[in-house]
Amino acid sequence: MDGHENEGILQCPSSGMSTNPLPEKVSGMIMNSVSMYKHSNGADPFFSSGWDPLVSLSHNENFGGSSMVSHREFASTPYPIVLENQGISGTSHLVQYPSSSTYVELVPKLPCLGSGSFSDMVNSFGLPECSQIVNSECPQNYASSKEDGTGRTSTNGALSQDDRQMSGEGAVGSSPNAKRRKRVSDYNNSPVSPRQNAAGETEKDLSGQSSDVQKESDEKKPKTEQNPGSNFRGKQTGKQGKNASSADGFKENYIHVRARRGQATNSHSLAERVRREKISERMRLLQELVPGCNKITGKAVMLDEIINYVQSLQQQVEFLSMKLATVNPEQNVDIEQILSKDIINSRSGTGAILGFGPGTSSSHRFHRGTFQGTLPSISSTTSKYPLLPQTVLDNELHGLFQVGFDSCPAVDNLGSNGHFKPEL
Amino acid sequence: MNPRRSISSNPASTVKSRFTNGFLQALLRINRQRITSTTAYTPREIFRGYLRVKIAADVSMASAIGSRRAWSRAILRKVRSHGRDGAQVRRMSFLAMRKRNLYGNIKCVEDAGFHQANVLRKLVPGGEAMDMCCLLGETAHYIKCLKTQVKVMGRIAEVFST
Repeated sequence: MDGHENEGILQCPSSGMSTNPLPEKVSGMIMNSVSMYKHSNGADPFFSSGWDPLVSLSHNENFGGSSMVSHREFASTPYPIVLENQGISGTSHLVQYPSSSTYVELVPKLPCLGSGSFSDMVNSFGLPECSQIVNSECPQNYASSKEDGTGRTSTNGALSQDDRQMSGEGAVGSSPNAKRRKRVSDYNNSPVSPRQNAAGETEKDLSGQSSDVQKESDEKKPKTEQNPGSNFRGKQTGKQGKNASSADGFKENYIHVRARRGQATNSHSLAERVRREKISERMRLLQELVPGCNKITGKAVMLDEIINYVQSLQQQVEFLSMKLATVNPEQNVDIEQILSKDIINSRSGTGAILGFGPGTSSSHRFHRGTFQGTLPSISSTTSKYPLLPQTVLDNELHGLFQVGFDSCPAVDNLGSNGHFKPEL
Repeated sequence: MNPRRSISSNPASTVKSRFTNGFLQALLRINRQRITSTTAYTPREIFRGYLRVKIAADVSMASAIGSRRAWSRAILRKVRSHGRDGAQVRRMSFLAMRKRNLYGNIKCVEDAGFHQANVLRKLVPGGEAMDMCCLLGETAHYIKCLKTQVKVMGRIAEVFST
């Protein structure tokens, strides 16, 4: 997977660019930074509404359009704005949020979030060597894109020098996007407003890898008057050698995926690849959530770990709810006291509850012998998670209470008692 | 723990605080009912109380999340329609699986992790009708919320026990 990522991010299809150590470093940094970014940034795709990154990026949309054309240098300030537009394009393909996309080529959200937010990462983490690396990549991409654009040389003159350099800069960021454009059957995208940023799409076209028939055919009609590079794009339609999705026709709202070098260009396998990459992205996120899974490589083992962890968390909830059911609350429960638990480490805190809870106040209502019998077995149980011994407790409890019980009346009681109205 | 997302601009309305409020209210209600009842300490009553608290915890967490995630919607749906008989529940899960086959690129048994995926689907609420990709996303969110739940409940238990 990582090898493919390296290939995909910085590959020019018709250039003879040999692999150099820099792509791995950049891609590795991208991948690491994606995870770091996801955690450090508050706009976590899981916990934001999903559109917070979009909202924050869309603020830069206006800036990006204006500043795009002005800069020549590979300074870091215009560069992030350039890539921000890539990011906007990348993240904007999702179904429910059609408005703020600048590009119609709709790439899967997660990989593009990595590429699109690369500039954010560069800025926020202050990695000067990162921007140096990317800047040094850009001239290479620019040169190679110059080579393979035979039909483009004439139209290159039509564009400003700035745009080309911007495109060169943007090529690095956009090439991960360029690699992932394909109509995916389960990716039902609503019609996204065609890109409002003319300069941005010019730059997208210029990057050597990003020649897409579909996008251009869509964008040509609404944008011909705005875009100076429209004839350029017309010329580029001829250069569709490796675009596997060109056979799909000129359809809108598709995710355009390009076949990588040496990969099968069947549309099914492309869809498969996109799906697999999505799944592996999610697995990586899960790997960070579940403790102790850093070294696991393998889907099956990872899934086992995830299952164990979810089961143990659910059992902890059950144990704590049993405990709370038996304890009498104080009259004045201060919510601030509960919410401001700053010092308590979850391990030690809940471990204390486990150690002392059953043995002290609440246990006199249960069979004391049962609990004290289970406590030694708890200590001998080896478990990774702090409260896994609850499995023993749970079994005991269920054994205690299931004799002659049916839990259904109890549950029905709950509904009729109206304890759990969802308007809590 | 940092407050996670806030729906409103009010910084106090985080998932954690909403869950804490709802859960405490439910707990107080349950305790009031338990105190008034005479047979409060038989095992049957204790088990019922345990079930109530457990469902209160799940529902208050799902309400704190709202309808944004599939698993919270599934929990709320289950609670609202708790009177369904078993046959209907099985029918629903069969339909959910068909829907999953239609929309998600479900691969057959040879895929590495098909069995675990089934187990995971049973664990995560609402996981029956999800393809692998959505299932993993929902699992991640669900794990985060479960962690919050455990921490808050542990803290409450501590506060109550002192």
